[in-house]
Amino acid sequence: MKGIFSVLVENRDGVLSGISGLFARRGFNIDSLAVGETDNHEISSMTIVSTGDQRTIDQIEKQLNKKVDVIKVRRLSEARSVCLEMMLIKLAYTATNRSSIIELCQITGARILKVTPKHLILEYHAPTDEVEDFIQMVKSFGIAEVQRTGAIAMEYK
Amino acid sequence: MNGAEAMVRCLELEGITRIFGYPGVAIAPFYEGLYHSSIEHILVRQEQNAGHAASGFARVSRRTAVCTVTSGPGATNLITALATAYADSIPIVAISGQVSSDLLGRDVFQEADMRGATESFVKHSYLVKDPDDIPRIFKEAFYIASTGRKGPVLIDVPMDVQNRKLRKPFAYPDGVSIRGYKPEIKVNMSQFRRVVEAIDKAEKPLICAGGGVILGNGEQAVRDFCEKFNIPVVHTMMGMGVMPKKHPLNFGMLGNNGKPYANKAVRRADLLVIVGARLADRAIPQPENLKSRTIIHIDIDTAEIGKNMGPTIPLVGDAGEIFRLLLNEDISPAGREWIGELEDIKHSTVDRRVFSDKLVNPNILVQKLSEKMDDDAVYVADVGQNQLWSADNYVMKEGRFLTTGGMGTMGYSIPAAVGAKLFDPSKQVVAVTGDGAFQMSMNEFASIKINEVDIKVIVVRNGFLGLVREYQNNTYGEHYIGVRLREWPRYDKIAEAYDMPYFECSSNEELDERLDEFLACREASLMVVNVDGEDKVK
Repeated sequence: MKGIFSVLVENRDGVLSGISGLFARRGFNIDSLAVGETDNHEISSMTIVSTGDQRTIDQIEKQLNKKVDVIKVRRLSEARSVCLEMMLIKLAYTATNRSSIIELCQITGARILKVTPKHLILEYHAPTDEVEDFIQMVKSFGIAEVQRTGAIAMEYK
Repeated sequence: MNGAEAMVRCLELEGITRIFGYPGVAIAPFYEGLYHSSIEHILVRQEQNAGHAASGFARVSRRTAVCTVTSGPGATNLITALATAYADSIPIVAISGQVSSDLLGRDVFQEADMRGATESFVKHSYLVKDPDDIPRIFKEAFYIASTGRKGPVLIDVPMDVQNRKLRKPFAYPDGVSIRGYKPEIKVNMSQFRRVVEAIDKAEKPLICAGGGVILGNGEQAVRDFCEKFNIPVVHTMMGMGVMPKKHPLNFGMLGNNGKPYANKAVRRADLLVIVGARLADRAIPQPENLKSRTIIHIDIDTAEIGKNMGPTIPLVGDAGEIFRLLLNEDISPAGREWIGELEDIKHSTVDRRVFSDKLVNPNILVQKLSEKMDDDAVYVADVGQNQLWSADNYVMKEGRFLTTGGMGTMGYSIPAAVGAKLFDPSKQVVAVTGDGAFQMSMNEFASIKINEVDIKVIVVRNGFLGLVREYQNNTYGEHYIGVRLREWPRYDKIAEAYDMPYFECSSNEELDERLDEFLACREASLMVVNVDGEDKVK
């Protein structure tokens, strides 16, 4: 099963390595990890997506809660949350396929950020599975590079 | 006031009177601060032992103890002791010197990333960047170490921070405010009611007590509860001492190194109340076999509950507090039949182990030793066969049994005994170790002698790393490799080198006399008890 954790932590050095170390040494998997400051500079927010059985996901939550630098851990339900990630993707285009790419962007809502004589850089944000689908769709155009932020999530209840 | 002076002042305000350590340049300003303080410094002979001595001191005093080391190798040498204290939940504040802030990360002489290196072995750690943070950090460190599930906290202090003047006047905070750490746990009353009902309903209840009961100062509450409701107890190795060994409700240590009748009791019970125990592999090798029982798991650490075994009723909280609450509940006492059944099991369990009569039988050694020791003595067992023979045979009365059950760190007993003795010189303290573990910490004899620490050290000597040899024998036949210690060192000469009285015993017959002479010594002394290398724990 998938666990989405929204974790508020002290914005201090060493905190990120402490959290990622916790996952590593207990054999927990990190599917994605996104970190940034909140509106309060002293506090950062992390969205961690992990997969494992029920016991593993429970243990992750408990172990995160044990860390002194962790202020709050919330387990988000996918059904009641907005969950997105952003991707930058560089495609090699040719005269023949350029219009297809532009058309795909129009349909999917991806934005063209940069055009160079050989490449297009697109920005696309969506839930993780749609990002995966998008990659599949553009694969035939020739992907030069992909950068993904990992998911960030927010519960709306 | 500079950072170092502030560090010393914080320790004084925490009531610290003695610390264990090993100096170096990166911690020299702090030592200069100690020079002007009444805090006594005990120089160990290797940094790991500063940590173990602090552990012994903390366990017997039931307070946080302090150790200090320099940067780089001094600090990395301490890591094993921190890991040991972490596994056994012992409250320690460790202070390490660090290279100057401007040199951090440049791989300069004696630089080691201690925060990174100890991340998984401490409860929390600090790298101090501003001397004005010292009072807050020390207050927090002592608070974190000694509350909730106890454990070691590291404070890494760069040399320039120790030397720099505080900008603000020194003020030690009255309390702490840590957003992410709230250890005061209120017992969940609806869960508590379920626990009461389950115990009331059970026909064959059994308490399984771990080290958490002792850490929560809950021994008396658990004893009172068991006596009031006639509920039997088994315990883990770290839970030795929750009940005196000869108590009629004590059915011994469970686990694959424990008593077979204790394990049978676990299988026969219809309700297990696990309290302050991790139930790791050595205690319950096959948790899936216990699924049909009602299992109550009481622990101060939420993460321990359900980690190794899924309980029916989890209850988070301090063992002492919960058992004091349980004592006032209206619970129908367990029937005599259950205790009768356990007594039958106990008496019908035959010990089929055969011990060589060539030299001293290690079981008889520990039995006789515990008869002769003071009721409130501290017995420190090392790691290996000596530990298992000790746990198996030591007749615990009102004293303490210290060992490292979690990490199993060889060499623990001698420095831990030093810490225990220095806290309470009026108590008899005996360290029992094997010849392998002894050679890992015998360098502490110098510190023992110089500081006149009157501990008794018994080496159960068989010329082998016995427990590994036993494993090789059981697993690979007689393919012994890397386990022969042979005839050296000459223990009489070790004792002589430190001007210590020396005793040696090689037969069961002379054991009484030798032990009497040894224990009567009014100074630190060494006794070697020769046992047969063929003797096994199982």
